[in-house]
Amino acid sequence: MIKLSQERTKELLAIHGWSGILLGLLLYAVICTGTIAVFSTEIGNWSNPLDEPATDSLPANITPLVHELGADVDPAHRETFFLYTSGGGRLMLQFEGHLESEDEDGHPGAEEHYGVLYEIDPNTLTVLNRTEGPEALLDAARRTTDALADFFVDLHVRLHIPNPWGLFVTGVLGLIMMVAAMTGFVVHRHLIRELFTIRRNKEALLRSRDAHVIAGTWTLPFAFVLAFTGSFFSFATSLGLPAMAMVVFGGDQERAIAEVFGEPPATDDTPAQVADFDAVIADAQARTGARPNFVAGRFYGRADSQLVVFTPAVEGSLTGRSPVYSGVTGEFLYDKPILVGQQPSAGNTVAALMGPLHFGNFSGVTSKAVWFALGFAGAYVALTGMLLWTNRRAEQRAWQRMSRLVHWVGYGLPLAMALTPYGTFAGRWFGWAIEAAQWTAFGLAALAALAIAMLARSVAQVRAILVATTGFTLLGVPLTRLLGGGPGWVEAWSGGLTTVVAGDIAIIAGGIICLGLWRYGAGTSAVETGRASAAAREAAA
Amino acid sequence: MTTTTVETSTAPGKPRLRAWMRGVLAGPLAFIASWILMAGAALYLPKGAAGIDNMVFPVVLFPLIWALLFLYSLLDRRLLRAYGVVMLLLAVHGGLIARHLAGAGA
Repeated sequence: MIKLSQERTKELLAIHGWSGILLGLLLYAVICTGTIAVFSTEIGNWSNPLDEPATDSLPANITPLVHELGADVDPAHRETFFLYTSGGGRLMLQFEGHLESEDEDGHPGAEEHYGVLYEIDPNTLTVLNRTEGPEALLDAARRTTDALADFFVDLHVRLHIPNPWGLFVTGVLGLIMMVAAMTGFVVHRHLIRELFTIRRNKEALLRSRDAHVIAGTWTLPFAFVLAFTGSFFSFATSLGLPAMAMVVFGGDQERAIAEVFGEPPATDDTPAQVADFDAVIADAQARTGARPNFVAGRFYGRADSQLVVFTPAVEGSLTGRSPVYSGVTGEFLYDKPILVGQQPSAGNTVAALMGPLHFGNFSGVTSKAVWFALGFAGAYVALTGMLLWTNRRAEQRAWQRMSRLVHWVGYGLPLAMALTPYGTFAGRWFGWAIEAAQWTAFGLAALAALAIAMLARSVAQVRAILVATTGFTLLGVPLTRLLGGGPGWVEAWSGGLTTVVAGDIAIIAGGIICLGLWRYGAGTSAVETGRASAAAREAAA
Repeated sequence: MTTTTVETSTAPGKPRLRAWMRGVLAGPLAFIASWILMAGAALYLPKGAAGIDNMVFPVVLFPLIWALLFLYSLLDRRLLRAYGVVMLLLAVHGGLIARHLAGAGA
């Protein structure tokens, strides 16, 4: 129990509430999409599967194909190259370089990234798609492969606001969540008792308040960790690294990169053979105990070429490893820390911990399921917190409007997210630009939800309509996937595409739960209807 | 004594001004101070074995620094003292950065 004066408790409660209500709607959107984004790999495998299942590790016997495709790329566009997996386990091979443009007078103009992206079936090692062009075109091709997962991840990471502003916004939202978690911890004077207290025989508002406190208290450490690591990810690249480059290295970006990521080898652009990728990947697997899932290289086909091979964490380790090899002979050069610096350090360990703590991907599907559940609880706490706050002030017209706004976002966002896959599958079926189709589905659902929130008789009706519509929408997603050309359950199961079947079942279960909440849930609770007594409002405060 | 006057004043119009001043301190000023503190701390923290700890730790701790400054700015009853603390942090780390950059440029 933390002892505070009544006045100080009131101040902290005000900070807790206002920090939540001011940016709570955006924070709720970030938490909701983050909860779904925990399963981004599985969403990619579910929404865009290949005929046969593939893992997210690099396949074997790829050297001949990589050599053949690499030889087909202009040497000027082979400054960097990457091998990684994408939606459905597709293997992606990307080459990038610089394209010097000329102005009208023939003088060298601005340089832009230009390259080639190959999409490869890892089972048959056949090229499914080849894209050549500037960076934006490569990005678009890459996003098409994993369109649905990318949509949710982008919404979570930067609310689809262009960088760096999107990162600033989500970073500030993370800070707000930290403040709400810290003040929530301090104002709960009976922390242990509140972990188990729900006043079943009291008014609905008090029960709702207890449910908010219980969910918030149980998930408090997790909320703090998520907010902290989320803010770190948002601000590290948008504010932190530029500040370090400016201050420590006097604005010398090259020196900053060399210090953090290592000195590049001496330049030698003599054409040279390319290493045996299978041998390099096998050696990295033998050294680290894990099958690599990412290779980053530079200067393909040159004497100064190097490869960094990334492997995931093995049991007993919190982070993966990244041995470095010669890109010419495939000889092992040294073991590099996975993120920063040239040798193991406390700084690298701490920075490397941020990822597993935020993404929950340190123990496969089990830890992801736990992170999903805790994220869901976080969204519930954010929404019920805003509902409680607006309900306490329900007698004022401005707060009644705010309550409708909270209902619009609170129940309209899940509907818009449920409708987004319709855009994905329709886009794929009709040959539309998938990203635009997804935006159309999401936007139409958001507009429909706004109309319902404005026109419904009461907020209880807003909730009922939106929850029911979300339920029916979710039930229709597997059918839409099937109509969009995806495999049926028998075909998927017999082909080993278990993610497809599991994803459909999870979505149907979500739909049934929504319909259950609509039919039997707390639709008439005081939080939604605003019928709470003044005494209950006071007690809930 | 000035501090006390500002802090205890309940004259009409003053609470709104105080609220704004506190909001500016807890919002933009605390954010800028955290950013400058993060950048300046890299100049005196130990570099560690790999020579990068002094840069990594401030970046990692930036959210926590801001959250603490934000809460402190809102909770210190003496608004002037809160301004003093935030400004002192800002000035010390800003000065360190300026001295370092001036030295590097010379």
